[in-house]
Amino acid sequence: MTTPIRKLPEAFVETAIDDEIVVMSMASGDFFSIRGTARDVWLKIDGVRDRAALNAALAEDYGDEVDAGEVAEFLDALGAAGLTEG
Amino acid sequence: MSAPPSGPRDTLDLLRSETQVREGPLVTELEGVTVNPGEQRITADEFLLVGRSGFSCHYRKGHGVELGGVRPEHAGELALYLVGSVHAAVACINGLMPIHASAVAAQGKVVAFTAPSGGGKSTVVTGLGDLGLPLYCDDTLLLDLGAADCIHTMPGHKRVKLWPEALALTGREQLELVSPEYPKYYVTPTAGDVDEPLPLGALVFLAEGPEPAWRRLSAGEGIAALADDHYTREMFDRVNPHSRAERFALHARIAAQVPMFEFVRPKTVERFRETCAFLAERIAAISAA
Repeated sequence: MTTPIRKLPEAFVETAIDDEIVVMSMASGDFFSIRGTARDVWLKIDGVRDRAALNAALAEDYGDEVDAGEVAEFLDALGAAGLTEG
Repeated sequence: MSAPPSGPRDTLDLLRSETQVREGPLVTELEGVTVNPGEQRITADEFLLVGRSGFSCHYRKGHGVELGGVRPEHAGELALYLVGSVHAAVACINGLMPIHASAVAAQGKVVAFTAPSGGGKSTVVTGLGDLGLPLYCDDTLLLDLGAADCIHTMPGHKRVKLWPEALALTGREQLELVSPEYPKYYVTPTAGDVDEPLPLGALVFLAEGPEPAWRRLSAGEGIAALADDHYTREMFDRVNPHSRAERFALHARIAAQVPMFEFVRPKTVERFRETCAFLAERIAAISAA
């Protein structure tokens, strides 16, 4: 899949506290607590990288430790919540 | 026109000045809207409460609180309104944010306990009072968000209100009934109270469970837990209209500046002392940190 993933800034507000990023959906008011590897995924979503590029960037940081399936699941959840597209 | 408060002590002085009461006319209308007995209405700079018995408490910013139509038999009902709705309304109109919490003072900071009504806030601060921690407030804690680097709080009233089952739990002697419509009883805090503004040191969310447990909440958990449907929050929202994003930013600020915890405990008479001692140990630890 080569579609870049981009955040939809109008769809959420976020704040970083310690090692956690808290995101609130403007539509639902639901909160997402993003920590650990998920935090790095969130920070690497730049509107340019597609899923493969995100996994490659994560591999640079974590080597083989990152589970591509979990990353895909997280990206799907972000998309389903309307926080990202692509 | 007076200068705005520049620090928490000025804020407390302002609050005390603005909550001064005097006799006035009976008022039953605010901005053209009739306020019926048992109802209240708040605007950006005015608050009107009409008691169930028909008397009025009318606050105007800069003018204090006027009581209209009050008779001696209204004393209990009036006292409840003055320490509750009127106090919270004056605070909101003057820039303070109320949260639904009871609190004690520990090592120069405030440790506040929040839970839905009936969740044990007053019971917990009463139990901690027996262990030497002075009362800071009961049921409503006022936050002063005026300083960027610290959240200050304003001390509340000097007595705790307990339901009959909480009296049994704490083993405390009841003083007078709060009011027939609100059948709690006043008790006096064993360790006295604190009468000065203090920084908010921790916010503790109370829960019930089979064993005492204590854990630090993540920022996300804290922000979510700060959502509150208490009537004082409705007042704050009416006086300070804000978007969902602004509310998020406010709660995020609190979560960033104040450590939040969850305290789980069994609510039984047999284990009350034990759970209070457990809690006091945790408070000592976080206060020393």
